[in-house]
Amino acid sequence: MTALVGYLGIMLAIASAFILALLGLRGLYDPQRVPRRYLDRAVVGVVAGAGLAFFALEVGLLIDDFSVAYIADHSATTTPFVYKLATGWAALEGSIVLWGLVLAGFTLSVHLAYRRSDEPDPLWMGALGVLGLISVFFFGLMATVSNPFQVCVEAATVGCIEASNIPWAASMASLEGPGPNPLLQNHPLMAVHPPLLYVGYVGMSVPFAFAISALLRGESGDNWLRRTRSWTLVAWSFLTAGIVIGGLWSYEVLGWGGYWAWDPVENASFMPWLVATAFIHSAVVQQRRGMLQAWNFVLVIATFALTILGTFLTRSGIIASVHSFTQSPIGPALLWFLTVVLVGSLALFATRIHLVASAPRLNSLASREGAFLFNNLLLTVFAFVVLTGTLYPMFAEAISGTQLGVGRPFFDRLAIPISFALLLAMGLGPITPYRQARASVVWERIRTPLRVALAVGAGAVLLGYRTGYLVAGVMAGTLVISMIVRHLWVTARRASVKQGTPMWRSLGRVMRNDPGFWGGQISHVGVALLAIGIAISANQGVETQVTLEPGQTVEFAGRELTHLGEFARQEPNRTVVGARVEIQEDGRVVSVLEPRLNTYFRSNQPVATPAVDTRLRGDLYLSLTSIGSGRISLDLFWFPFISLIWVGGVVAAAGGLFARVVRKPVRVGAVAREAGEDV
Amino acid sequence: MSDGVRKTVAGLVTLALVVIVVVGVAIGDPTPQDRVRALGSSIKCPVCQGEAIADSPSTTATAMMEIVAEQVAEGKSDDQIFEYFRARYGDGILLDPPFQGRTLVLWLLPVAAVATGVFMILGRRQSPTVTAPAGDEPEEPASTVDTS
Repeated sequence: MTALVGYLGIMLAIASAFILALLGLRGLYDPQRVPRRYLDRAVVGVVAGAGLAFFALEVGLLIDDFSVAYIADHSATTTPFVYKLATGWAALEGSIVLWGLVLAGFTLSVHLAYRRSDEPDPLWMGALGVLGLISVFFFGLMATVSNPFQVCVEAATVGCIEASNIPWAASMASLEGPGPNPLLQNHPLMAVHPPLLYVGYVGMSVPFAFAISALLRGESGDNWLRRTRSWTLVAWSFLTAGIVIGGLWSYEVLGWGGYWAWDPVENASFMPWLVATAFIHSAVVQQRRGMLQAWNFVLVIATFALTILGTFLTRSGIIASVHSFTQSPIGPALLWFLTVVLVGSLALFATRIHLVASAPRLNSLASREGAFLFNNLLLTVFAFVVLTGTLYPMFAEAISGTQLGVGRPFFDRLAIPISFALLLAMGLGPITPYRQARASVVWERIRTPLRVALAVGAGAVLLGYRTGYLVAGVMAGTLVISMIVRHLWVTARRASVKQGTPMWRSLGRVMRNDPGFWGGQISHVGVALLAIGIAISANQGVETQVTLEPGQTVEFAGRELTHLGEFARQEPNRTVVGARVEIQEDGRVVSVLEPRLNTYFRSNQPVATPAVDTRLRGDLYLSLTSIGSGRISLDLFWFPFISLIWVGGVVAAAGGLFARVVRKPVRVGAVAREAGEDV
Repeated sequence: MSDGVRKTVAGLVTLALVVIVVVGVAIGDPTPQDRVRALGSSIKCPVCQGEAIADSPSTTATAMMEIVAEQVAEGKSDDQIFEYFRARYGDGILLDPPFQGRTLVLWLLPVAAVATGVFMILGRRQSPTVTAPAGDEPEEPASTVDTS
């Protein structure tokens, strides 16, 4: 039943998406001939179909309908509620269903945003058509090589042995499933991370669709950019949050104290983020100065292609990674799609290049435009480095047959200098005037923040932080933040003097008047905080291994840790064994931590679950490596100021939303000039 | 305080801060444990999926980390330690590709990308003869002109 309903949803979505594609592409050339109500029906069909498929899958999971192979293979009766829901996207086929649902949601929002306009709107219709085409592909995957609603025709005691694509085939339900991958049911963040990331990934389809539509129409100008700004910002914010939460999950679950390993799948999410960030910045240059028209098309096509490449890399099993699933026919399908997208878009772009090429108008490299170009160079080179490092081992192995490792040292060596340059550009860019910046003006604006950064750097040295990278990172981050604070302060004070309003009101008003620019600055503060967090925790972290008898105390990072005893308990889906460790600081008990080993049913490998005591000054991180016969072995970590990374990530994502959500107060006449530029 | 005195004091304070930072960083020393960890993050864990031995909690990785720590304690050089593992597990065990042969392209590609980018940016500059007189932007222009 579940399978049939879900499969019907997929069919409805495919048919509607196909019609939407036809209508939209027709409307691109002849908008008068496409009545809005036809578009309405097609969009509603896609949304209803996607919703039905997702709903059927979730209901099937909640009622343990093991006649559906996906549910029999990835869920279990004992799986807790939240993880049953999350299993809906925890494995390959289900994750494509979520992708389809998010895509349908974005299609709906694009449709609703402009359907009331009376003007014929070919750009918008064309964009809906492109979104329709993308939907045909993804729902097509669900109907064929990645069908979440395969029915189980031969059941095992646990799970399903053979499944059929025909939803009404005589099905057999197994009595129990193996449950989700232990790593994925060990922390609630796993329920949050994929949806956030998918909203970010899929949201990038919207600017892509508008760009392709503009190219098909041969339309130059920044119309498509202005109209998709909101979606780009929202998608960027979610992508940022998704990546940071993925890091937090890794930190809280994997037990090695790290949050980023340059794993191919992490890179897969980071590459579109870098290029999307470049796009957000270069779009400002086009809107302000009419430059970089063609470049913006390249960036938006690259962003979209990288989201597909990321899905291909992680889902096809071509690269060994925590995220890859077993070999599946979805790989070739995604590779074909990626090829079609790249070849098609770039060929289209090539035939239109004479229309979209803009004249060089850069007066001087020492200008805001110059800073933006520098920023774009850094971000795209960064993305290119990550891409090279991720794909190189694959190509090298294909060509020479021998394995080649490209890991953290390679990425770090290139990423660290690029990141420092980016931080400096981030500090200098927003205070540099357009067209031509005089050195005296820039010096005037940079002088005080530079001293603040120096003072903080000296403070760090006096506190005993002596590593070069650490001090440089902290100073660069502080420089960015203090430049922004100074800029806000000076602008608000001038407004306050001019209008006679109190300072605190001016601060709010200045930011509200120019949400694009100040949203960007909030994101910059977030990235700077994140950089400071990385610089301190990576260089000043301490690690040690200890073995403790019950009652034994060990000193670590200025604290006394006492092994109070062991515990074991049976939970519905797992067996938990762990130790209670008391933390004392200056003779005071500050907390009792419980690092554990969770053993999930039908899995013999226990999952170490670290216990983390998070405070402003740093995290005490305990990971249990062995337990039994009274003795425990612990990996102890101390990471100063690591929470700045999560805080910074959230602030960065919030900045994007601020730019999107806060609406500039509409006022008539003289005051209208007061507002400012984007980002 | 006269303006001159204030400027001198500000300059001296800045200088002092610079001295503190530079000297502090110059005399800072990395602890010996850093080296074990740094080496460990350059060696791939053979039984894991794309993880370094410093990052993996698996028993194999832990055992290999112990070997690294022992060899560091014996005073072996980085190259000697890498060679030890390479002799046992092959080239693929090293996560830090050396600058030679097959990996040359890997290191040169980013350089080529930077060169292309710089070339493109320079190409976007107007020739000086047609440069319009630079408009005098008002102080703090960031919040003065509307576009959105």
